Amino acid sequence: MTSATPVLKHRLTPLERSERRLGLVMLAPAFILLAATVIYPVATLIWTSFRFQHLAQPWMGTPFVGLEQYWKGLTDPHFWSSTLNTALYILVTVPGAVIVGLGLALLANQPFRIKWPVRLGLLLPWALPLVFAGLIFRWFFEFKQGIVNNALIWFGLKPLNWLTDPTLAFIAICIAIIWKSSSFVALVLLAGLQTIPKSMYEAAEIDGANKWQQFVEITLPMLRPAIFVALIFRTITAIQTFDIPYAMTNGGPGNSTETLAMYIHKTTIDFLDFGYGSALAVLMFIVSVIATSGYLRYTRRDPSKAGR
Amino acid sequence: MTSSQKKRNITWLAALIVAANGFIPAIWVLFTSLKTEGELNRIPITIFPNQPTLENFTRVFVDQPILVFIANSVAVAIISTVICVLVSALAAYALVRLRLPAPGLILSVILAIAMFPLISILVPLFAVMRDAGLLNTWWALIFPYAVLSMPVCTMVLIAFFQDIPADLENAAMIDGCTRVGALFRVVVPLSAPGVFTAAILAFVNAWDEFLLALTLSPRVMSRTLPVGITLYQGEFAFPWPIMSAALVVAITPVCVLIAIYQDKIVSGLTQGGMKG
Repeated sequence: MTSATPVLKHRLTPLERSERRLGLVMLAPAFILLAATVIYPVATLIWTSFRFQHLAQPWMGTPFVGLEQYWKGLTDPHFWSSTLNTALYILVTVPGAVIVGLGLALLANQPFRIKWPVRLGLLLPWALPLVFAGLIFRWFFEFKQGIVNNALIWFGLKPLNWLTDPTLAFIAICIAIIWKSSSFVALVLLAGLQTIPKSMYEAAEIDGANKWQQFVEITLPMLRPAIFVALIFRTITAIQTFDIPYAMTNGGPGNSTETLAMYIHKTTIDFLDFGYGSALAVLMFIVSVIATSGYLRYTRRDPSKAGR
Repeated sequence: MTSSQKKRNITWLAALIVAANGFIPAIWVLFTSLKTEGELNRIPITIFPNQPTLENFTRVFVDQPILVFIANSVAVAIISTVICVLVSALAAYALVRLRLPAPGLILSVILAIAMFPLISILVPLFAVMRDAGLLNTWWALIFPYAVLSMPVCTMVLIAFFQDIPADLENAAMIDGCTRVGALFRVVVPLSAPGVFTAAILAFVNAWDEFLLALTLSPRVMSRTLPVGITLYQGEFAFPWPIMSAALVVAITPVCVLIAIYQDKIVSGLTQGGMKG
């Protein structure tokens, strides 16, 4: 094992040197692809964020304006309302999806003789495009013909203005996001559940632990790494929430359900203000770096060592 | 009721809840797609379609060029999947076997760059693709989609490559194979399930993507399926039966795919998250 050898700076043999060179050649396609689609665009993003660039006002040119557009962003109530909405979506849907996902995983972890209905039941929401999920839930929450309001009427309650009332629209969108994302969480947690040895539960049963004690003392601690992975993955995607609110309310009523991603998209693609949109995108990136660093710390392990 | 009977009932109930949660929205859309406009407007609503009709499905093909959307989606998803798996396999192999300095750090850098939030690169990517004349072409989506799935593909392939004993490759190289020859003749065939899993995940990611497709292919004829479906909504009205029929047409191929490859998808998803 390389890790066991003392830290002597030994000279590389010719074979090792040629292997290392080959390794760099094999990494090259990945880095060329990343350079063309991420690194170069990000460099132009930062460049553009310091310049005025409005495609609808080409006569203005692209003068350097320094931090002006960042200041504009930080004092723009629309920026803050969409940031607040994004934060609310994260706060509600990330724990929501993990709790619902845990429930689904526990239900799916039964000894079924026929496995496919349960497995497909978990895979279908995962494989469905987000925007389709949004459209389907928009149909569920439709005022007159939607299944939700008709169920309310059937129970003798009043139908609700799901998609035109700001609070109800937020709730409806959160329900759609949680439905869509909890199945991925369930798949990850189910794999975690299946690694817990049966003998642990048998031993606990002999010691007289009831089901709830077994869940708290064995299942939850053993699932901690899987829950952590699910939380990080969910958070990364939740920061970028776009498709489902776009399909369900398009940010409305007013801007009440609009996310930061939707505001950036609107600023640049609809209003053609590339300079300001770039500054907003950089601000958003700073927020997501803080969130993703947790995941990177987790994965930063040496892949050439099999012992994990 | 005996205790084993009770246990069996609980198991049945659990299976029913999970399956219903996943299937009911799709089934509801299917029922809607078979109803006439008149039946849809009836209050209280009906659950099963009274006089099932396929008229909505004809409208799906008449109202929008959905076959073009499907062709665009298939082409973009397949080409980006091939590029993604090739690039990820080379990188994963180099990281696992080729004694690079600080492979863990290199992997982190690749993941960090590839996981850059899409919305942040959307603005400059639009400008880059416009300047390169690639807007409205498949390539505008293919390259970003290949990067989109690079993290999960690399992680899945690393997990598979680690399980292949190095002795097998060494034996092949003693027999006169080069490193690259050993990779393609020994490692790739042995980790075929892993390569396949990575490919399915990349395909589904590309098939589902919406934000880039919405922005980088503004022309109707270059729309992919997820964006194309939203075009069925009118200016003021929302034609639910036709929209539902379009959703059924769009969902069915993916349903078939995941039904066939469910084991591989589940193992790949969990490996990408857990094992790497």
